[in-house]
Amino acid sequence: MQVRTRTWFGFVVLASVLFLAASRVAFLDPLENAALSVAAPIESGLRSTTRPVADFINNITDINRLSNENASLREENELLTAENARLTEAEQELRDLQGFLALRGIREGDAFVQADVFATDPSNTLQVIAINRGSNDGIAERMLVLSPQGSVVGTVSRVLDSAAWVTLVTDQTSAISALIQESRVQGVVAGSADGTLNMEFVEETADVKEGDLVLTSGLGGDHPSGELIGSVIEVDRAPQQLFQEVRVQPLADFTRLETVLILSSFVAQDPEPTTP
Amino acid sequence: MNYAIGVFAVLVAVISQVAIMPAFSIFGVQPNLVIVLLVAWMVVRGRQEALVLIPIAGFTMGLLDSQPLGLAMLALAPLILMTVFRELRLVDSDILPAIALTMAATVVYEYTIMVTLVLRGESVTWLASVTSVLVPAAIANALLLIPVYWLIRIFSLGLRQRPAFG
Repeated sequence: MQVRTRTWFGFVVLASVLFLAASRVAFLDPLENAALSVAAPIESGLRSTTRPVADFINNITDINRLSNENASLREENELLTAENARLTEAEQELRDLQGFLALRGIREGDAFVQADVFATDPSNTLQVIAINRGSNDGIAERMLVLSPQGSVVGTVSRVLDSAAWVTLVTDQTSAISALIQESRVQGVVAGSADGTLNMEFVEETADVKEGDLVLTSGLGGDHPSGELIGSVIEVDRAPQQLFQEVRVQPLADFTRLETVLILSSFVAQDPEPTTP
Repeated sequence: MNYAIGVFAVLVAVISQVAIMPAFSIFGVQPNLVIVLLVAWMVVRGRQEALVLIPIAGFTMGLLDSQPLGLAMLALAPLILMTVFRELRLVDSDILPAIALTMAATVVYEYTIMVTLVLRGESVTWLASVTSVLVPAAIANALLLIPVYWLIRIFSLGLRQRPAFG
């Protein structure tokens, strides 16, 4: 191997390490802020311009999957229509008995910041998106991020002045304390390398079934309780296992997210310092 | 002039990578246009230009990705060593070594990100990452390389045929 190549490699590695060290003390944050400020509008424009093309190509390549999905959606639609009819009745009853309008105001105390998604991390190992709101807009690390419909998208993992990075719940480093709405069974919803969601530490005897809704439990103080994460799509009770394998489907389609809401009124609690 | 065009191509690739490529997934992963461009450029245009473009691509990607600045540069740095293989001419073909280099560069890039996650105390499921991220990403990038390689080759021929001034 040529000496010049090795020298150049060593120089680039050294420069990378120096940049990494400088990043740790936020020395280069102004540079990253400036770069993202310039790039964000361009990236937003590119995303919206190419979205129809991407949809067209993905639809062609996904024709079999779409056909199956269409069939299952038709069945689901039928079920939901029936369920909707029942719920409408239940809603009427609820309105009469408890005062439905009071329930609707349940989120009045919550404050949200709306943000646009303009980029995705280039690495396939990470499930991280960029949003065009940062510390200037009151965004802080560990804030919960929701879809416009109100289901959990992820957590703010890095904040710059006018942009922030959100680690999706499907990222393999993500873990959220959760519970099953109906049976109140507790567990931890964790992401995985292939982008699927699993609810872990669900006892073998716990009552969990397909279609159950999974919510944040608020345990640990990292997230507020009662936020919708997704629904159970598969339960695997292997014999002689302590825990069930529960697969969860997020309600939001993360590949098509354009806008998100950051729950800015909830501040994650720091863990109590341990006394010697 | 060639360097300026190369730098411009890298900038376009980096911005496209974070903005557009996630919408075009193959085998459930997004192809990495930056790695593909660098390998194709190295094979078609030679190692001299690639040696300059690799750190520029890493630095620019670091500015626009979610990781600390310097990590993308570190993850792309092994491509510098791979430029040596381009010069060896082990087989009588450009495209085959380019595919092999693309796959190797993809694995090294994703692996570096995973190692840094572990160093930061995050848990990584290695086997699942290899089967659901590393292998599909390497194949997806190899597929993307073919059109990118031919585009750069055509562009490169045009550049050579352009008459010199004076």
